[in-house]
Amino acid sequence: MAARSLRAHLLRMLLLPIGALLVLGALVAYYPSIEPATLAYDQGLIDAGISLGTYIRTGDAGGYRLELPSAVDQVLRRDSYDSVYYRVLGPDGEPIAGDEGLPGPPPEREARDGFISYDTAYKGQKVRAVAVPAKCGDAACSVVVAETTVKRRRMARDILFSSLLPEMLIAIATVLIVWFGVKRGLGPLARLSDEIKARSPGDLRPIAAADTPEETRPLVSALNGLLDEVAQASRNQQRFLANAAHQLRTPLAGLQAHTELALAKPLPPEVRAELEQVHQATIRTARLANQLLALARAEPGARGNAAELNLKALAESEADGWVHQALARDVDLGFELDWAPVQGDAFLLREALANLVHNAIEYSPRGARITVRTGRNGTHSFLEVEDDGPGIPLPERERVLERFYRVPGTPGTGSGLGLAIVREIAAGHGATISITDATGGSSATRGCRVAITFPHG
Amino acid sequence: MRLLIVEDDAPLASGLRRILEAEGHAVDVTSRGEQAVLAAAQERFDLVILDIGLPQMDGFEVLRRLRAGSPDKNGPLPVLVLTARDAIDDRVRGLDLGADDYMVKPFAMPELTARVRALLRRSQAHGGPRIVHGPLALDTVARRAFLKSEPLELAAREWAVLEVLLGKVEKIVSKEAIIQAVAGWGDDLSPNAIEVYVSRLRSKLEPAGIKIRTVRGFGYMLEEYKGA
Repeated sequence: MAARSLRAHLLRMLLLPIGALLVLGALVAYYPSIEPATLAYDQGLIDAGISLGTYIRTGDAGGYRLELPSAVDQVLRRDSYDSVYYRVLGPDGEPIAGDEGLPGPPPEREARDGFISYDTAYKGQKVRAVAVPAKCGDAACSVVVAETTVKRRRMARDILFSSLLPEMLIAIATVLIVWFGVKRGLGPLARLSDEIKARSPGDLRPIAAADTPEETRPLVSALNGLLDEVAQASRNQQRFLANAAHQLRTPLAGLQAHTELALAKPLPPEVRAELEQVHQATIRTARLANQLLALARAEPGARGNAAELNLKALAESEADGWVHQALARDVDLGFELDWAPVQGDAFLLREALANLVHNAIEYSPRGARITVRTGRNGTHSFLEVEDDGPGIPLPERERVLERFYRVPGTPGTGSGLGLAIVREIAAGHGATISITDATGGSSATRGCRVAITFPHG
Repeated sequence: MRLLIVEDDAPLASGLRRILEAEGHAVDVTSRGEQAVLAAAQERFDLVILDIGLPQMDGFEVLRRLRAGSPDKNGPLPVLVLTARDAIDDRVRGLDLGADDYMVKPFAMPELTARVRALLRRSQAHGGPRIVHGPLALDTVARRAFLKSEPLELAAREWAVLEVLLGKVEKIVSKEAIIQAVAGWGDDLSPNAIEVYVSRLRSKLEPAGIKIRTVRGFGYMLEEYKGA
């Protein structure tokens, strides 16, 4: 279903009444003004008829005739627009002179002020005619004068147009007012939707109702209700995660402590081997728990607060732990840290960076060289971890970002979650992740560089 | 040294106790925050290991009360916070309230014992003028250094760099931090100069088994003394 436009709907509702009003208005203006104009033109015909009547003469034989000088005839018939006709009728209605066949007044029409005006046709054209009484000696005869309706029609058109024009202007103005008025009226709604669109997915603060118009208050308050519920659910989830972390990690810490205590004692070799397995499994379980929690926290809606951060400071604060991990595996971990401001969640970004460094340390051979970099590339902040280990084959680079996927033949016991977490966290920050060969990589050890580039800002 | 462990998870608490007792410390354990506050008020401990997730009075409150108590004449009581929560603000809150260090559960025991040693050493340094690191001893009042009881000649700048590193054993100290700590008014020390001092220190200390590790692009780390 197409979205219903409030504006189109309003216009449709308005157009019909506006159109009707337009017609009505034109009619109301037209008829009162056409009447006096018609009368004025008729008066011209009447005057012509009266003057024609004065040229009727009584003949010697008792008949009547019209003695019209040709100059007068010409004057009478001269008209810029219309053809003028006349006919003189005797006392018994017999034609005396003038244009043959010009119809007389319809018998039922009554005279007004002594004159009869009527519409008829002559020579295939509509004509307007008046019958004017005249004197034939002592008898009463009549003169009919008619003219075609060119200038009357023109006048009618002019009157119609001049009455319609203002109506049309008013109608157009109304449509424009509705068009822009609705846009203006809906402006607060548009601003509201812009504000909601501009929000980050984790921003569940209520919308300020203060600067929204009265009419949108119910909408805003309904939205705020929803936001509040979502925020509440998110807080509950966070609380659950924190509790789950606590419940899971404390016993794991106990398990790890006792395994390490036992391993510190003299043990039969086979028991030591078994216990080593338990110890490794404990550490893996702890790491997996951390990763699952990080993954859950990286889900949209569960996100913490975004803050102004510097990736350089973030990396520096974690460097101690990484260096010890690297030392334990005889790996050279170095840093090239420059100022790199981002908007983000410190916990998640730390987790992303930790996963990248952990992967590099875990999958690089002894003596490998790993470099952690932060900085700015034009207007984009980035962080990257580069190693000179075996690298990731080209076809695997997309797949390693999937959850639980591990490159076949990879040594060690990773969960395959590390890079998936990095991807989720990057996506949550609108950042892009790229996996390439290391800059100084040779074909033998191509190395690997994972870079996260953050959006402008 | 006398340590107090405040942890409500019995297996973890007993594991911690045995590991720290094996290090030669006297260890008391309580599972309740109220008892910890009381014990710290009545007796003298050198370090408290404090779990944040305690029942009833939680670790934050314990920490607040420990810090609100009367100032200790032996310097502030070092507190190492243990947390199972992954929310970063927990960590920040812990340090804001005056925890000296924190560890997120679970952790490797060698790391815990290293942190405990570092905290104890730091608090000892507060109290006394003598800093000891394996065979190395610095008398900060007389400004004399000894290596294996033999007097050790150190230039003023070398002394200053070594003092900074000794204050943060097993932690990376950035070159910038060293420069800030070492350079006096009007001095203009370059990172290269720091490298020179460190390499001189190395040539003097490494024969005795004291290692200063370079962290490429960042700074230096004085490793814990593990014997010559």
